[in-house]
Amino acid sequence: MSVVYFIFQQTMYFMIPLMIVALGAMFSERSGIINIALEGIMTMGAFTGILFIHFTGGSMNGQFQLIAAVLISMVTGMVFSLFHAYASINMKSNQVISGTALNMFAPAFAIFVARVIQGVQQVQFNNTFRITSVPLLGKIPFFGPLLFQNAYITTYIGIAIFLLSTIVLYKTRFGLRLRSCGEHPQAADSAGINVYRMQYAGVMISGALGGLGGLVFVVPTSTNFNADVAGYGFLALAVLIFGQWKPVNIMLASLFFGLMKAIASAYSGIPFLSSLGIPSYFYKMVPYIITLIVLIFTSRNSQAPKAEGIPYDKGQR
Amino acid sequence: MDYIIEMLHITKEFPGIIANDDITLQLKKGEILALLGENGAGKSTLMSVLFGLYQPEKGVIKVRGNEEKITGPLDANALGIGMVHQHFKLVENFTVLQNIVLGIETTKRGFLKMDDARKKVMDLSEKYKLFVDPDAIISDITVGMQQRVEILKMLYRDNEIMIFDEPTAVLTPQEIEELMQIMKDLVKEGKSILFITHKLNEIKAVADRCSVLRRGKYIGTVEVAETTPEEMSEMMVGRKVNLTVEKNPSKPGDVVLEVKDLSVEAKREGQTKKMVHDVSFKVKRGEIVCIAGIDGNGQTELIHAITGISDMSTGTVTINGEDVTKKSIRYKNTHGLSHIPEDRHKHGLVLDYNLAYNLVLQQYFEKEFQSSTFLKNDKIYEYAEKLIQDYDIRSSEGSYTTARSMSGGNQQKAIVAREISKAPDILLAVQPTRGLDVGAIEYIHRQLIKQRDAGAAILLVSLELDEVMNLSDRILVMFEGGIVADLTPKNVTVQELGLYMAGAKKEGGRS
Amino acid sequence: MKPKQIKDHTGILSSIFAIVLGLIVGLIILFLCNPKQALPGFATILSGAFTHGAKGVGQVFYYATPIILTGLSVGFAFKTGLFNIGTPGQFIMGGFGAVYVGILWTSLGPAHWIVALLASVILGAVWGLVPGLLKAYFNVNEVIASIMMNYIGMYLVNWIVKSYKPLFNNLRNESRNVAATANIPKMGLDKIFPGSSVNGGILIAILTVIVIWLLLNKTTFGYELKAVGFNRDASKYAGINEKKSIILSMMIAGAIAGLAGGLLYLAGTGKHIEIKDVLASEGFTGISVALLGLSNPIGVLFSGIFIAYLTAGGFYLQLFEFSTEIIDIIVAVIIYFSAFALMVKIILSKIHKQKGEKAEAAKEGGTKS
Repeated sequence: MSVVYFIFQQTMYFMIPLMIVALGAMFSERSGIINIALEGIMTMGAFTGILFIHFTGGSMNGQFQLIAAVLISMVTGMVFSLFHAYASINMKSNQVISGTALNMFAPAFAIFVARVIQGVQQVQFNNTFRITSVPLLGKIPFFGPLLFQNAYITTYIGIAIFLLSTIVLYKTRFGLRLRSCGEHPQAADSAGINVYRMQYAGVMISGALGGLGGLVFVVPTSTNFNADVAGYGFLALAVLIFGQWKPVNIMLASLFFGLMKAIASAYSGIPFLSSLGIPSYFYKMVPYIITLIVLIFTSRNSQAPKAEGIPYDKGQR
Repeated sequence: MDYIIEMLHITKEFPGIIANDDITLQLKKGEILALLGENGAGKSTLMSVLFGLYQPEKGVIKVRGNEEKITGPLDANALGIGMVHQHFKLVENFTVLQNIVLGIETTKRGFLKMDDARKKVMDLSEKYKLFVDPDAIISDITVGMQQRVEILKMLYRDNEIMIFDEPTAVLTPQEIEELMQIMKDLVKEGKSILFITHKLNEIKAVADRCSVLRRGKYIGTVEVAETTPEEMSEMMVGRKVNLTVEKNPSKPGDVVLEVKDLSVEAKREGQTKKMVHDVSFKVKRGEIVCIAGIDGNGQTELIHAITGISDMSTGTVTINGEDVTKKSIRYKNTHGLSHIPEDRHKHGLVLDYNLAYNLVLQQYFEKEFQSSTFLKNDKIYEYAEKLIQDYDIRSSEGSYTTARSMSGGNQQKAIVAREISKAPDILLAVQPTRGLDVGAIEYIHRQLIKQRDAGAAILLVSLELDEVMNLSDRILVMFEGGIVADLTPKNVTVQELGLYMAGAKKEGGRS
Repeated sequence: MKPKQIKDHTGILSSIFAIVLGLIVGLIILFLCNPKQALPGFATILSGAFTHGAKGVGQVFYYATPIILTGLSVGFAFKTGLFNIGTPGQFIMGGFGAVYVGILWTSLGPAHWIVALLASVILGAVWGLVPGLLKAYFNVNEVIASIMMNYIGMYLVNWIVKSYKPLFNNLRNESRNVAATANIPKMGLDKIFPGSSVNGGILIAILTVIVIWLLLNKTTFGYELKAVGFNRDASKYAGINEKKSIILSMMIAGAIAGLAGGLLYLAGTGKHIEIKDVLASEGFTGISVALLGLSNPIGVLFSGIFIAYLTAGGFYLQLFEFSTEIIDIIVAVIIYFSAFALMVKIILSKIHKQKGEKAEAAKEGGTKS
């Protein structure tokens, strides 16, 4: 049984950042802007957040420090995503190219600045945020160890973001208008909606959530940050497509991928699996192979927002 | 003179083009004013200026006597102006209700409150007899119902001044009649209507006055009751126009194309539906057979199946006695078939290639134009020059012009030139004159007759009833995927044709 | 001036514009970090390669070789309407093929290096084939599919090299040396550029550029590939087998990137496949090279050399206590602004189009009564 709890807790560490970033991507793409820059946004968010924790290591600790870092990551992500927004919306540039440029920029920048500030490129930090057991809730049989032990605040923030996203997208005026921009910007425009402003909002949300996701990815699984988020930004895009741009499906897809990743990294702690003798590389490859297979089945009838990736041009009729 | 809208000396420019050149338009309260002009005359641009989508460089707009600045649809709406666009501005996967309220949703602290909206919509729907299902998804409902949603959008916003941009292009004859009646009812309730069109019979049916635009300039306004269609057409085009095509009677020869029991199935909304239903017909040398019908009754699928662009589920296609059902598109193109496609940008041209490369699109692989896969560019440009001369294709840089920068009419001429100069046995021409000005239309009609007289078999697909009646030697009407009538133009009236097209009448059956 | 020439000039202008902006941003960052050393550092980036004579030039060619090819791979795919972001995966698979043959098939004598290169081409082609097939038959977006293949390739290569003893150098966590016969011959370049690492690889790269240019612009095959890239529907209408074109495109692009990998690991410079979970940066640099070179094979050749030139200059930066990542930053910024440049190009050609329509209308107006 403790194996099940262990696997689930590990899954949470991988699922939550993936889900947060994918939900962010959903807002961007639903407004009509493809955001490939997630890898770079995650890197920038993680970098500034971890750097903050590193430097305040002596004077702050605990959940308060983490929350401050969360805010910093989100702001960083949002600001960084503005470059993508400006290029895509105002300059009508090819969204894949500007996204790729940002992805190339982020790790180089993180390494360069780290070296300038502290001499080496790896940023160490002290992890004082793990909650071994939430008071009261951690003692519930079964669900206690599953959800409320060995957890982080960020796990719950992630779940809250999921719930919020679903409500905002489908039940609010903002969500309705956002979706109309991604499906038929001309219709939104003639209804008096400012398409450009909606698209900026979408990209900035993806920036904030992307930055947060970067931080959430690094904290539970490492003690340092080395300018790399292991392709999570791209995996989040796959989750988005797998989830057909819908929040609930995205959550389930993240759960699935998180489980795969958890097994890949922690399988040596699972007696059944480690006795099979399958090398770790196989588990590392599995999420990507599964993504390809899933894409084969879902790309035919893709529910992608109809107008995504096409720069909206008022002049066209 | 009680003008509710005055557009005075409006000039609207785009880079390199003056779309509206000093135009004055005046709409009286409670009237239906038709705005007549060819494609590209500037009608849609002028209306977009009124609706706030564009800002004019010069000129003034007055609403109810007051000068107003309309900076966007919200301003227009506030002044009571609404617009039903030619290409509907509806979000396909939203419901009817969501589309109607988009932009002026009732909310409580940001959350959508749909109940009051729903009630208002249903009340309006009843009052104006515009029947809709508020929870239906747009992509599932008919075009006629989609248009009613657009009209309800205007009524929901209490628009008094309604602009209709080419509303009948996508409707059945019955739906067109219903729309005409709706417009008359709206005017009875005190609304004023601006009706953009290039169809003279509709103007005659419903409009009080008609303003004419030509090439961005204002020509004049006439009382519809006192003006003939010929006079209006002359104002629109600038010269006398022959509204009918002159041709000799046809002399049909052998059968060139035979289609037997052709069916096409497609998956729509999770179900398999027969888009084309056991269609059989023959086309002979020297005749023009026209497939008439409302858009969406299977014509597109039928042509795609015959050419090979899509698959058919059952049936055979024979050209000159040879069964080509399973042959590749390339095979058919090199064994007597030519195809002028419905969508010249999607299928007909590679817009980013130049004119010359587009003119050899069907023949670049032949010995004339390549040797061991190396292109013979000099031969290609020679051939292109010849076609440009013979078919009078105009472009800014001759063979080197990028297809994208050519006008619609010349793009179509290029496609026609390419397909006809292959000297096909069977020519499929699908809506060959869509979106073109009168000059280009006349030209293409002449070419088709010429080919027919030279012995080609022509299968024409058209949505324009005039073209169907004028050009064809035989008419096959398609309705809901099947052929419901085989008619001779001499023996049928336009009204009867309309009934067949709407499925209200079947040949050999009761109406 | 022929219209085509006007368009090319705007393209080149926009690339230059992006390069200048990128360099300026780089200078600003250097300034912010260490104002005193910023200007000398910047000067080194711009001139570093030249200040070391023939050896420096040779080094530039050496660095340029793989990225010219990965750039060609991306550019070729772009011309056919596909975004080949899978070059890192194709590159490392190609490198693996070359190393495998290079270490194990030692009895091939003088043909050894040729066979090793062939292996890299074939493996790269296979790695490009997969996203091509997925796109042609299942409409899977080639960007995501290629990204997945990057990671699968990286893990696969690391896995095989690490677990197969003849290939693996345990002490240094990388692949072993390839046999001397597998190294690409110098082809006389060591005499022209003595002391540098340059070898026949650069000549092979240039040859590939020429072949691809001929293919794209002078053959019916190129005509079809470009037509499919521009308009898949019209190509189908014209009888072109668009599925076959897409698949062949990706295969060729993959083969070129694979060749790049082979040329790098057989250069005889002590380059080994390191067992690290890091994607090959030469792959991503290829994207920058292709964009700067406007996807034109000749342009790719020049932009590959240019970026190699910057990179070479960057190495000498370490004397000034700046880390070499500044070069990556500069390149990333150049790419970012090159995306704007496309828009400039579009505006200029739109104006051109309007002028064209006016000219057309004038011609027609003249002949009508």
